[in-house]
Amino acid sequence: MTAALAGEVRVFADYAGDVREEADVAVVGSGPCGAVVAKELAEAGRRVVLLEEGPPFTPSDFVLDGAHSMARTMREGGLRATRGYVMPTLQAICLGGGSLVNSAICVRPPDFVFDAWCEDFELARTRGKDLAPHFDAVSDFLGIAPTPEDVQGPRNLLFRDGCRALGIASEPIPRNVRGCRGSGECFTGCRSRAKQSMDLSYVPAALRAGARVLTSVQVQGVRTQGARVLGVEGRVVAPFGGPASHRVRVDARVVVLSAGCMATPILLQRSGNLANRSGQVGRNLQFHPGVMMTGVFPERVRPEFGATQGYQSLAFLEQGFKLETFWAPPTALALRMPGMGDAFVRRLAELPRSATWDAILSCHRSLGTVRPRRGSGLDPVITWHFHPDDVPLLGRATAVLARIFEAAGAEKVLPGVHGLPDELPAREAAEALARRAWKATDVVSGSTHAFCTTRMHGDPRRGVVDESGRCHDLDNLYVADTGVFPRCTSVNPMLTAMALAHRTAAAIRDRA
Amino acid sequence: MTPWTAAALLVVAGLALAAAARLWLGYPPAPGLRALARREAAFLDAAADAMFPPGGPLPSGRDARVAEGLDAYLRVVPARMRRLMRLLFALLEHATLVFPAPPPRGRRRFSSLARAQRAAVLEAWRTSDVFARRLVFTSLRALLVNAYVADRGVLSALGLAPYVVETPVAEADLLYPPLGMPRSAIRPTATTPPSDGRPLAPDAPRLFGPGAPAAPEPRP
Repeated sequence: MTAALAGEVRVFADYAGDVREEADVAVVGSGPCGAVVAKELAEAGRRVVLLEEGPPFTPSDFVLDGAHSMARTMREGGLRATRGYVMPTLQAICLGGGSLVNSAICVRPPDFVFDAWCEDFELARTRGKDLAPHFDAVSDFLGIAPTPEDVQGPRNLLFRDGCRALGIASEPIPRNVRGCRGSGECFTGCRSRAKQSMDLSYVPAALRAGARVLTSVQVQGVRTQGARVLGVEGRVVAPFGGPASHRVRVDARVVVLSAGCMATPILLQRSGNLANRSGQVGRNLQFHPGVMMTGVFPERVRPEFGATQGYQSLAFLEQGFKLETFWAPPTALALRMPGMGDAFVRRLAELPRSATWDAILSCHRSLGTVRPRRGSGLDPVITWHFHPDDVPLLGRATAVLARIFEAAGAEKVLPGVHGLPDELPAREAAEALARRAWKATDVVSGSTHAFCTTRMHGDPRRGVVDESGRCHDLDNLYVADTGVFPRCTSVNPMLTAMALAHRTAAAIRDRA
Repeated sequence: MTPWTAAALLVVAGLALAAAARLWLGYPPAPGLRALARREAAFLDAAADAMFPPGGPLPSGRDARVAEGLDAYLRVVPARMRRLMRLLFALLEHATLVFPAPPPRGRRRFSSLARAQRAAVLEAWRTSDVFARRLVFTSLRALLVNAYVADRGVLSALGLAPYVVETPVAEADLLYPPLGMPRSAIRPTATTPPSDGRPLAPDAPRLFGPGAPAAPEPRP
């Protein structure tokens, strides 16, 4: 069966037989990067087919319970973890990818990040000024703006006040949100339709420009002939891990893999170890491990109200960590509370008086790998280890968080660190956290920021793609996701990934 | 086969049956549960009772029907994860047969222990110097806490029930059908003005609990 529908979305229930499509560009993955590429190239007049393994979610499909929501919107039911250093990590599987269920943070990295990329990875056109037009284009389209003060809520503003009292620079987090009401539901889908996730922004724009969007299609291989790709093939799959059914084949002049830092290398490895003359596919995996701290205040802070993540401090980026406020569905946030039995329940009852803040760590020395799990899907085996030189960042970052809690008036903090008391006055906690000899296993970290598994490098022997995102080994295969980062960004990666994807789209448009 | 050999085999078989019975039999029925076996439901109920005992400022683990909540959760997670969870439950249920709980009669299945003994066992896992043991506890606690805090009674007691939020009809809502439906299920309608960014008031209505305007949503 050949689909002739232009500018339309197909969902699982629409497939009645095998699917065969022809396109100028096949884009695999509808997350922030794939959606940008699809929209830009469709608007440039290319015939674009955008393939997404997950389904679209409408507001009536959102589930407010955190665990159930993740089971539906995340790969492996939201229960994925690394081996080596055991750490939970997430990857979305839905139209719009992670943008549907993230907190919409859009931060430009400072120039020193890109300068280091250029110097250490032999890149000539990836400095801040080179990327600025691409950042601007994405920011303008999404209406990225600092979180307004009236939807910050006390738990975000307490962070600001604590930073101010200590002379630490802080700022409202820029987000791709229009009309936030402060419901704190970014992680389960924005019922206010204020978050400009890809399914609300870039994908509709791509559709208006004539792109075809095939959801519930798992791409399982890239077809090649010599040094050129011919297209992709896969299967229709039922939502939420259901069985595979009809075959799908898309013949395309250009293929862009935007399946994410975990799935893109798996797809290359499953396609005959494609684009891997450098041996770097699936290697160099980096994370921003996150550590959290909860502070308990004397009065209720109405934590359920306010932007999920509304305030941040970039003051410590060059020291290796970024600080930010945090809120999640109470089911997830309650995991931060320590103790057992009566003590645990008493602490849970303090949730309404608590605020949780976190640090994301730039652990660029800590590396890992991604390889296919047994079976035919795109789920990876992820191995990653904390490098000993990165471990002290845990202590420095958590000690600063404790100081900010103290300055903001918290009566105690819950450090969540093995070997320390379950709760401490903030000042004591800061001192204890700063002076202890840290082991990575003293805390349970988590990370949704993953990078570098198909890294960009000026030398084809040491990287998978060039500065435009084109694979060194193949003329018409591109990668556009966080896997192309040569090193972690030190800040939340979505905006950078989208800016790089915007540049990749421009390169494809200008070549053809 | 000599009579002595036959007798020895019978003794071994009898011991094996007794061991199996000790491990797997004697659990109370668990009516209404679809994913959890009765032994798993008994373990989770016992663990929730130790983790969220009655008499505190919030509903107890049993009042919050934690085992029921986890039964619903197990039905939606991938099969591989479900298998890992079942292994976790079995490990913790039977670990006290090898590493006994504090006396009296500590060498019993976890679910057969008194509440104080169960709490002591879990506390030992929680504070162990062995990271893998702490990780086992953290995994169990994550499941229990998820189910416990998702309970409407607990959320209401915390004052954290979700807000009633008006959902505008966006352009995208005319592009995608609800989950499981074909495109023909998209109802033609007009878009409505987008969110105006008015902050939710402190006394804004909640989806359930005191002052809730509508019937509560069913548990997923």
